[in-house]
Amino acid sequence: MRRISSSVDLKRAADNSNHTINQTRFSAVVLIYVREMRDQLRDRRTLFTIAVLPILLYPLVGTLLLQIAQFTRQHPTSICVIGRENLENAPPLLGEDSFAEGFIAETDRIDLVIHRWDEFTEDLDIPSQTDRWVRDGTFDLVVVIPPGFANVKDLVSEPQRDKEASEKAVTVGSDSNKSIQLLYNVASDQSLVAKDRIMRILTQWRGGWVRERLADSGVKLSVLDPFSVQDIDIAPEHTREAALWSKLLPFVMLVWAMTGAFYPAIDLVAGEKERGTLETLLCSPALRSEIVWGKLAAVTTFSMMTAILNAGSMLVTSTFVFRQIGIGAAGTSLGAPPLIPMLWLLVALVPLSALFSALALAVAAMARSSKEGQYYLMPLMMVTLPLVLLPILPGTTLTTGTSLIPVTGMFLLVRALVEGQYAMAVWHLPIVIGVTGGCLWLAVRWARRQFEDEAVLFGGGDQWELRQWVRHLWRDRQTAATPGQAFACGAIILVALFFGKLAVTEMPTDFAGMSLLVLIPQLGLILAPALLMATMLTTSLRKSLRVRMPHWTTLPLAVLMGVTLHPLYVSLAQWISYTYPISEQASEAMRPFGEMISSAPWLSVVFLMAFVPALCEELAFRGFIFGGLVRNQSRLRAVIVTALLFGVSHGVLQQSIAASCMGVLLGWIALRTGSVLPGILLHFTNNALSVSMERIASSDWDGASIFLRMTAEGPAYQPMWIVVASGVAVTCLLYFGNVEDTTDDLENDLIEFEGHVSDPGTQLQTATA
Amino acid sequence: MIHVQHLTKVYNDQTRGRFVAVDRVSFTVRPGEIFGLLGPNGAGKTTVLRILSTVLKSTSGIALVSGHDVATQPAEVRRRIGFVSNNTAIYDRMTAWELVQYFGRLHGMPKDVLNQRLESLFDQLRMNDFRDVPGAKMSTGMKQKVSIARAMVHDPPVLVFDEATLGLDVLVARNLLSVIRSLRDAGKCLIFSTHIMSEVERLCDRIAIMHRGRILDTGSLEDLRARHGEHDFEELFFGLLSRHEQAERDQTDEHGPGAWSSTTASREQLPTSVKLEPAVESVPGGMVS
Repeated sequence: MRRISSSVDLKRAADNSNHTINQTRFSAVVLIYVREMRDQLRDRRTLFTIAVLPILLYPLVGTLLLQIAQFTRQHPTSICVIGRENLENAPPLLGEDSFAEGFIAETDRIDLVIHRWDEFTEDLDIPSQTDRWVRDGTFDLVVVIPPGFANVKDLVSEPQRDKEASEKAVTVGSDSNKSIQLLYNVASDQSLVAKDRIMRILTQWRGGWVRERLADSGVKLSVLDPFSVQDIDIAPEHTREAALWSKLLPFVMLVWAMTGAFYPAIDLVAGEKERGTLETLLCSPALRSEIVWGKLAAVTTFSMMTAILNAGSMLVTSTFVFRQIGIGAAGTSLGAPPLIPMLWLLVALVPLSALFSALALAVAAMARSSKEGQYYLMPLMMVTLPLVLLPILPGTTLTTGTSLIPVTGMFLLVRALVEGQYAMAVWHLPIVIGVTGGCLWLAVRWARRQFEDEAVLFGGGDQWELRQWVRHLWRDRQTAATPGQAFACGAIILVALFFGKLAVTEMPTDFAGMSLLVLIPQLGLILAPALLMATMLTTSLRKSLRVRMPHWTTLPLAVLMGVTLHPLYVSLAQWISYTYPISEQASEAMRPFGEMISSAPWLSVVFLMAFVPALCEELAFRGFIFGGLVRNQSRLRAVIVTALLFGVSHGVLQQSIAASCMGVLLGWIALRTGSVLPGILLHFTNNALSVSMERIASSDWDGASIFLRMTAEGPAYQPMWIVVASGVAVTCLLYFGNVEDTTDDLENDLIEFEGHVSDPGTQLQTATA
Repeated sequence: MIHVQHLTKVYNDQTRGRFVAVDRVSFTVRPGEIFGLLGPNGAGKTTVLRILSTVLKSTSGIALVSGHDVATQPAEVRRRIGFVSNNTAIYDRMTAWELVQYFGRLHGMPKDVLNQRLESLFDQLRMNDFRDVPGAKMSTGMKQKVSIARAMVHDPPVLVFDEATLGLDVLVARNLLSVIRSLRDAGKCLIFSTHIMSEVERLCDRIAIMHRGRILDTGSLEDLRARHGEHDFEELFFGLLSRHEQAERDQTDEHGPGAWSSTTASREQLPTSVKLEPAVESVPGGMVS
């Protein structure tokens, strides 16, 4: 133990003395960037996909669109009218071989064929004949006017007839024998268009007819129209056009920024590996960080160029095409986009391109060849695409909740800027910048880690084979899980929980049923996979689950922290349900659950809701999975990934967010103490308080009022106690932050070295120092 | 100049499990000396040299290049070493001149010094004919020359050639050897790894014979001949290798047929046994380089 720490100190000292030489040189980054750019620009394929393709693609698509538009415009609608003689008593609808004068605007594109009712004989009956016509497309639509239609004459001539007669008229109108039939085919677009047109003509015809009758009966026409509505769009001219473009254009740009980052990233890492030039660069004096920054800048540039060229080309082409087709006329939402607000897009493109590029670089580093790289980037695209799609869903606007979502928040911010809502944009700017900056930092860090990992850069040349792999899993078991096994365990738990949730079709009505509903997922779907994997894939169950005795003070402190942190946790949960409101349906479904908890015996509730989850979830997430992920000095990865897995495993979005935040804290404590036990205690205390708050508040104990008060929504903490408790919690946190020296933190994190060849050089190194 | 002590590299791989690619290797190379690393494919030569060039990190042991530790001062080491390997390819879309210039600038050389250096290097290696030819259009020999120029551009005191003659025709290989000799005469410290015995015989001042991650014996050609009583170098080499393999096999038999359990046993013994004799080590499967 002492030997390890002294060698670490030695390394630190050496690092400090080399501080200047290990610093990233800006000139080297620029040098690498310029070389990568030149290299890519000399490649015909890259140039084609990035510059030539977008410039050619959109005009070509535009031309095609124009031609299709012309085609649809010229296509005439063919309509057959049967039974013209039955219209004799009605106002004129049909002319000689077209519709009558008043409807002429619509008639120029309609081919009308008019038959008399008596042209059809017995063996050629109308229903079957017209059905066939419509079905095989001879006519887009057939209008059948039955002989009974003309009987309306009585009504016209004697308008003053009493109520009885008007009732009769209603029945006449709804009689299928006497109403006009439109035969159309919903499967054919042209038939639907024809139906639309005919309906318009018929409505117009009927309107005229009604007016005529009312005039005959002495009713003033103005009676029919008691008020009028005038709709005025007060949005300024450019906003109206911006509305569509501010949704469409960021989407197009982001998708292209993503694709634009992928191919250069594959070529710059996996491609260089394949061609053998990466090792040349690695043994040059360029630092890994300089290489990553240089390559990242190059990929980002290409990503942005692709996005700008594609969006620009699309803009120009579509403006032109819309003008040609004629949709771009004033008053419609389409039209030339306002150019100046669109510049905001460029500002937002820089960080997002950089983010995609860093992710693509990190993922591409895992591939050994360009071909393999393409396989890896597809899943990355699938994961990021929802974040880009979310903002174009109707009703998604910039709020505190949405601004916290990576990519989506930035997208919505840009939209607000384009639409001129500057106040709202400025208000959310800090959050969006924070979230985007955080994601970018994580992505770049990941990319750098990848470039420092020799297993990533040089590993895995051999063929994968199932039998050998199984043998390898068994033969090379280690004391703790490998990162891969940890990821697999997390995935298994999440998938199992997903299907487990599907299997539950109805909520249980009694406490026993509810216990099963909690116990089965906890024991069977969370703890069992972790335990099973720990037993089979590692040599030490205790070590792989991180069950170790930490320094004794951490245990009571964990309980104290659980108690004092709970008010903050409750506030967080409240804020979350305020920011992302729980749907009525969901809270309705949760209600019986809550009622059962308050009516069941306290001890069994605490066991069920606090003890079991604390034990199972901690052993799985902060035990097995954390132990695997924390290896290779990946502390941050362990904390973040276990927190996210822990959060997602909760299923309900609002719970997931709260659990993820809690997960970060629990992960950090697991890291500091090197053990799963303080986490279990903290988790238990927190859950136990959550399920007992109501009981404590309504108990006879007088002291309860110091901490809790009853409100309309249930028990709440006293504001004073929240402040005091938060102070204590922060103090505990600080203590955990300094716990390193009193526990075997270092040794616990170095578990991977157990069973390794011990290092004869260490002694020599210490000796030379 | 180069000082390597108990250098060990352990890989974790699927086929062989925990696999010791380099096993407590120690040697020293002085300035003005060509040190030959001779061994069959997969003996661990490339791994040793990759550790020296700081591309890989050792599991344990020390390696010093010009007094700088490869583990703690990799940047310092990379400034003082030139690494030519058949794994270090050149860029397809860069001309010879651009490539060597690029690496010179990465070393932070001032422009005028760099251009002077480039002119003299291109003269010395007779590369002026293909100055402006892009890498994709070069022959293997041209590429190798560019690689050497790239490794020499910052005039490093230490140069490492890993299987540098692989795939070269006789004429070009001969040229390369004479370049290496002239570098020795200029007082450089050189490591030359190969599996071709004749090259070692003609070129190297001292030789280490590597097999399965270990150095079986080391010394000048005369030393080795005298020690093993064998004048023919090829016989000497094969004799050493087969004796080592035999010893390993005996060891495995003693420990029973469970090959990997014996590996575990030998692993525990590793820290104490640091002798060069064929020791308790058996690895199922082949070797990596």
